[in-house]
Amino acid sequence: MASIDLDKMLEKIKNTQWTLSDVDWDAPGAEMITEEQWPKLKAFMADLMWIEHVGARAFAAMAKKAPNDTLKEIYTYFHAEEQRHANAEMALMKRWGMLEDNELPEPNNNLRLVIEWLDRFADDQPVYVLGTVVPMLEIALDGALCKFLLDTVKDPVCHQAFDLINADEARHLGVGFSVMEMQGHGKTYMQLVRMAAQLMDPRLILGIASYFPLLNKMRDNIVEMGLPEEKLYEAMKKFEKIGGRTEDGRRNPWFQIIKQHGRVVIDRRNRFYHKPIDALVKVADLIPRKAFPAVPSWVREITYRPTA
Amino acid sequence: MTTATASKSNGRKRAPARKQDAQATKEPTAAIEHPTATVLIIGAGFAGLGAAIRLQQQGVRDIVILERAEEVGGTWRDNQYPGAACDIPSNLYSFSFAQNPDWSRSFSGSREILAYIQGMVKQFNLRQYIRFGKNVSDMAWDDQSGTWKATTDAGEVFSGRTAVMAQGPLSNASFPAISGLEDYQGHKIHSARWDHDYDFKGKKVAVIGTGASAIQIIPELVKEARHLTVFQRTPAWVMPRPDFETPDWNKSLFRKLPMSQSALRKALYLIHESMALAVIWNSPLTRLAERIGRWHLRTQVKDRWLRRQLMPDYRIGCKRILVSNDYYPALQQPNCKLITWPIDRLSAQGVRTVEGVEHQFDCIVFATGFDVSNAGTPFPVRGLEGRLLGETWQRGAQAYKSINVAGYPNLFFTFGPNSGPGHNSALVYMESQIDYIVQSVRAIQSLGLKALDVREQVQADYNRDIQQRLAKTNWNSGCKSWYLTKDGFNATMYPGFATQYANQMKELVLKDYRLIKAD
Repeated sequence: MASIDLDKMLEKIKNTQWTLSDVDWDAPGAEMITEEQWPKLKAFMADLMWIEHVGARAFAAMAKKAPNDTLKEIYTYFHAEEQRHANAEMALMKRWGMLEDNELPEPNNNLRLVIEWLDRFADDQPVYVLGTVVPMLEIALDGALCKFLLDTVKDPVCHQAFDLINADEARHLGVGFSVMEMQGHGKTYMQLVRMAAQLMDPRLILGIASYFPLLNKMRDNIVEMGLPEEKLYEAMKKFEKIGGRTEDGRRNPWFQIIKQHGRVVIDRRNRFYHKPIDALVKVADLIPRKAFPAVPSWVREITYRPTA
Repeated sequence: MTTATASKSNGRKRAPARKQDAQATKEPTAAIEHPTATVLIIGAGFAGLGAAIRLQQQGVRDIVILERAEEVGGTWRDNQYPGAACDIPSNLYSFSFAQNPDWSRSFSGSREILAYIQGMVKQFNLRQYIRFGKNVSDMAWDDQSGTWKATTDAGEVFSGRTAVMAQGPLSNASFPAISGLEDYQGHKIHSARWDHDYDFKGKKVAVIGTGASAIQIIPELVKEARHLTVFQRTPAWVMPRPDFETPDWNKSLFRKLPMSQSALRKALYLIHESMALAVIWNSPLTRLAERIGRWHLRTQVKDRWLRRQLMPDYRIGCKRILVSNDYYPALQQPNCKLITWPIDRLSAQGVRTVEGVEHQFDCIVFATGFDVSNAGTPFPVRGLEGRLLGETWQRGAQAYKSINVAGYPNLFFTFGPNSGPGHNSALVYMESQIDYIVQSVRAIQSLGLKALDVREQVQADYNRDIQQRLAKTNWNSGCKSWYLTKDGFNATMYPGFATQYANQMKELVLKDYRLIKAD
C-alpha cells in the first residue's frame, strides 16, 4: 500500500460521515438470529464492541502524540469513529434483545486490563508503538471477527451497519499502514536505538503484558464460537503482507516486532510462547472483579441510542 | 486578554438593536453631504470616545463620531450575555484620565463597564459629537480636497480632514463554519447578540465553543437550563481569577484620595507587565504559569478523563489565556456534559457528532467569537489613487506602529495591525494610540498639512522588525488561533511589553512621514 496523501484523506473522512440514525434499527430481520446463535453471539458482540471501544481510546492517545496537525485531526476523527462502531455494535445487541435499557456489557478480564493500561499509560507512549499495534488489532481481531460475523448472521441490518463500519475501517487501515511506512522512512540504526529505549520503558512492558494475553484470549473465544482458528491467522498474515509491501514499511522496526510476534501467535507449536501466555490468560480470569479499580469515565461514554 | 463583555448582572433587558440590522430594511435616501470636520471617528466604543475626550482636552472640538447603533459602548453594548465580564481588573481596564472609584468588583461585569462608558459620555459632554444610526459602508480619501469621505448605507456622506478607525477589532459576530448551520430548526443565539427574551428554564441547551465568552456563559446557563451540553474543539488554559467585591472603605478611599487609586492602577499595570515574561515568550515563567494552570485544573476537576479532555496540549500563551473560578465546577454539574467529539454537522434538531449520535436541543448558543479583520476592514477603505485597503492587506495586514498605513494619509487605526496585548489591559495600548492620534491631528493643523502619509520604507522596516520579534513568541509557536491568519501570519499581536509599545508611541517622528502642505 503506497503512502497516502493525509490531507486528502482527512477531507475524505469528513465527507463520509454517518450517524446511528442513518440505520433503521427496528427494520425487520432481527428474527433471523437463531436460538442457538443467540447466547454465543451475545458474548461475541460484547467482545467485539469492547475491542472497538479500546481501539477508540488508543486513537485518542495517538492524537495527543501525532507528529503533525493533519494526523492529529485524523486520529481525533478515528477516535470518534471507533466509538461510533462500538455504539453501532451495541445498537445491534439492543436490537437482538441482548441488552436491557441502559445496560453496558461487561468486558472480560483481559479487556479490563487493557482498559486499565490504556487509561493510565497510553498517552505516554510514542505514537509509533500504538501506531503499529492498532493496525494489527484492527486487521486481525476486527477483520477476522467482522468477517465471521457477516458469514454467520443473516440479519440485513447487521450487514448494513457493517458496510458502514468496514468503509471506515478501510480508511483506518490505509492511514495506519501509511504511518508505519512514515516511521520506516529514516535511519535504521537510530530507529533501533530509539525502539530499544522505548522497550525498556516499564509502562510499555505492562502494555505488552496485557496485549499478548488479549490475543490468545480472543483466539480462544473465537474458537469457542466455531470460527476456524485459521481465519484469525489468515487475517494476521494480511498485516504482514500489507505492512511489508514497501521498503519503508519493512524498515519500521515496530512492524518487524509485531510481525514476528504475529508469527509466534499463529504457531501453536511454539510452547515457549503459548504456555506462559495461556497461563496469563487463566490468571487474568482469576482476578476477582472487585480487584479492579472503578472503570474510567470514558468507558461510560458508549451508547446504543442514536439520539441524546 | 482584555475584551470580553458586559456585567455579571444577568440583566435581561434587550440591548439596543444594532442600526446595521435596522438599516437593512431602510430605503436609501438621497445623498446628503455634511460639512467637513477636523476629525471623523468611526465607532463610539472605548476607542472612539477616548479619542474624542483627548482631542477635546487638546482644544480640537470639530469632531464627528459615526456610530452604527443607537447607543454608545461598542463591544460592551453588544456583549450582554449572562456572566459577561472583563478578564482584566477594572482599575486597569479603564482610562487613566477617567478613573472610576466606584467599581463594585475587582473584575467588573459588562453592564457596569457599559455604565462607565455612558458616564464618560456625560462627564465629557460627548453626545454632541455622536451621530447615531450611521452605518459606514465605504471610506474614501479625496486627494483633491484632502479629506476622508465616509458614506453610510443610507447614502449620507460625512467628511473629515482626518479619520480615526475605531470600529473595534471584535465587533462583528462570527458563526462557525459548520455544515448544516441553516438546517437547524431550534433557537439560535450568538453570544454577541444575546436574546434576552429567551427563557432557558427547562430547556435542553447547547453551547458551541469554549473560548472567553463561553466560559462566562456556561456557569450562568447551567443554573437555568434543564440540561447543558458544551461542545469543545480545543481546550484553553484556564487560570484562577482573583475576583472579589470592592469593600465600601476602598471606594471612599479612592474618592477621597485619587492618588491611591492611581497607585493601585500602577501596581496592577506592573503585575500584568511581568506576566509578559510568561505569556509572550517561552521562559521558565511560562513553565510556572503552566503549572498554575494544571494545578487549577487538578484541584477543580476530580475525574481523570474529564481532566484529560480539558488539558490544553499547546504552550500557554499561544492562544488567549482565560480566567475563571466557576467554569470547571459548572462543567461537573449533574445537568452539564462536555463533548469533545468532532462536530459533523447540524441537523434540524441538533448537533451530529462523529461518534454517531445526534444530540438534540431546544436552543444552541454559538460562543464562537468574532470576525477578526486581520486581512481587511468591515467595509471598503480606499486610499491614494483609489487603492483598496483589503487588497493592500491581502497578504497580511501591516501598519506603521499599528496606527498608520502608507498610501492612506491622515487615517489612524485604533487596534490596528500588531497592537494586540496578550498580557495587559487593551486600554493601556489604546491610550498610547489615542495620544499619538492627538499629536498627529495637532501637527496636521499647526503645520497646515493636507496629508500626513507614512513612508512605505519606514513602514516596511518597522514590520520586518515586528515579524522577526513575533517569530520568537509563544503566539507563533505552532497552535492555531485567531491571532494568526490561515497562512500563519500574525497581524494581530504586539511582541513586547506594554511599556515598549507606549514608548514607541510617545513621539510623532515627522521624518517618518511624507508631509504634503495644503494649497
